[in-house]
Amino acid sequence: MFNINSDSINTLFQKVRKLLFSNLFNTVLSLVILLIISLVFFNIYKWFSLNSSWEVVTTNLPLYAFGSFPTDQQWRPATWMICLLFISLLTLFGPKWKWLRKNLLLAWIITIPLGLYLLYGGFGLSPIMSRQWGGLTLTLLLTIFSALLSLPLGIILALCRQSSLPLIQKSSSIYIDVMRAIPLISVLFFGQLLIPLFLPVGIEIDRVWRAIFAFTLFLSAYIAEDLRGGLQSIPNTQIESANSLGLNQVQIIRFILVPQALRIALPSLTNQAIGLFQNTSLMAILGLVELLGVGRSILANPEFIGQYIEVYVWLASVYWMVCTIMAVLARHLEQRMTINKTNFQKL
Amino acid sequence: MNKHRNIFLQYFIFIVFISLFGILINNLAINLIRTGIGINFSWLLKPASFALAEYPLPYSASDTYAWALFIGWLNSLKVIFISLILSTFIGTLIGFARTSTHSLIGLIAAGYITIIRQTPLLLQLMFWYFVGFLGLKDNILIHIENIFKVSNQGIELYGLSFSSEFSALLFGLSIFTSAYIAEVIRGGILSVSRGQWEAFRSLGLSEIKGLISIIIPQALPAIIPGLTSQYLNLAKNSTLAIAVGYSDIYSINDTIINQTGRAIECFIILLTSFLFFNLIISNSMEIVNKIIVSSKKYN
Repeated sequence: MFNINSDSINTLFQKVRKLLFSNLFNTVLSLVILLIISLVFFNIYKWFSLNSSWEVVTTNLPLYAFGSFPTDQQWRPATWMICLLFISLLTLFGPKWKWLRKNLLLAWIITIPLGLYLLYGGFGLSPIMSRQWGGLTLTLLLTIFSALLSLPLGIILALCRQSSLPLIQKSSSIYIDVMRAIPLISVLFFGQLLIPLFLPVGIEIDRVWRAIFAFTLFLSAYIAEDLRGGLQSIPNTQIESANSLGLNQVQIIRFILVPQALRIALPSLTNQAIGLFQNTSLMAILGLVELLGVGRSILANPEFIGQYIEVYVWLASVYWMVCTIMAVLARHLEQRMTINKTNFQKL
Repeated sequence: MNKHRNIFLQYFIFIVFISLFGILINNLAINLIRTGIGINFSWLLKPASFALAEYPLPYSASDTYAWALFIGWLNSLKVIFISLILSTFIGTLIGFARTSTHSLIGLIAAGYITIIRQTPLLLQLMFWYFVGFLGLKDNILIHIENIFKVSNQGIELYGLSFSSEFSALLFGLSIFTSAYIAEVIRGGILSVSRGQWEAFRSLGLSEIKGLISIIIPQALPAIIPGLTSQYLNLAKNSTLAIAVGYSDIYSINDTIINQTGRAIECFIILLTSFLFFNLIISNSMEIVNKIIVSSKKYN
């Protein structure tokens, strides 16, 4: 027992030695870095325990989560977010039963109308205006709906750009290039300002949907560009063989081009999704009270004035957590897709 | 037969688009007439009557809108150019650190990259501004007489002074972009085959010398395209200046829209300025790329 223990300690010791202290230069370097790290951690710890007060976070937790959603109705967005978290966890760590895996996609799709129903109300729930939405709920809503709407638009744009019809090809590539050249904040700002101008008199879209619409217009150009690489890497022989099998144009797009392009572009698409989630924070300077907007309004409250570090550290960790969950989910999806592909190749 | 159908289809889709577009323009015209704004650019020559905190060329509130926009344009160019250099420098260091054989350095670089990449830029900018610079209150962070001074007034370097707004934006943009550049650099270094490392080591070159003269020249062709797109992103991200109150082109456009309501004209101005920024960046990177390719041919 003792022997095994000392052996394993020895190997660990040797590993550390090999990694950090292999020669004089490395030894000095490691010691200096360790010293700096411990100083930094010590200072952070000192600040955490002595100088920081986390009341600004703990007393405002419902505000960060739901914004100014009426207090007695906050179970509605809470239910939605718990559903999303539960399905994420089930997707990642759930058992590998076949019926469960099949229905997970359905569950993901159901969360979307469920979210809308829970937030808007109606049909037995008291209706709530979208200007009362806020916090993490609004951030997630903006992300999910913009991603959902921009994916089909991006696919259409990418296909148009590959089209052999010059007019369609030219106009879609101009759209994609111009959209990719301008900053997101200007698209969002002008979305808030100009969309009402382009609508007929009397028709109005509320701020949240205007934002989603602007995000969609912006993101679809980037998605189209990502898909272009995927589309270009599909060899022409596939289209020829599909033609000779008697598939028509729509079938070729639906069964041959889009699925493969999506799979190839998946890593960059997930990066876009994570970028979108972070970029929803821009709505904080354009008047929506999403997660960062809540932070700003709390900091404007005289009771919590000057507690920037606490609020920003807290917000950064929330953003970091959600981004990490998204990245892990994306990796899971990538793995599943490659597994499907190898199975297919075996056949 | 099929070809004719395609051409017909193309015109059909195009006509649908044109008519949709026509409806939108028609709505716009109705709305503009209704609000009595219209579209023209003559307001550009009227006095702007707002003050700017920062101007590289002389500016006063009695100058024209056009001049105010030009000042904003120069301010944007200034912050883009300096943070482009700074972020390339930091990004290269972190990128090398990420590929380092020393595991502690690699770990620190990886931690830096995930923290920076997984949090929104806007939050980081606010952190740098409200905590990093304004948080200094009266106390001065670093002070080397006549050379370098960091305080809540900004940064002073050899008599050159940068406002705290500019400095916060510069830091935020450079650090955010550096994490992305580090990943580009890392990808480039990893694209060079391991044999090259072993070869220069067996020739007796030191790690740093080998990195500079053997690895980097081979990694550059893979690095340049990624670097270009990060530079373009940097230019676009510089519009978040409005969050810290730095008067760049976007924030001046924003002020003008609030004053005059000329949203469509300002949008056109913003669009052309960014097409111009993009053109500058991508063309100069194209030149850099050509130089690299041609120098490789000589070898």
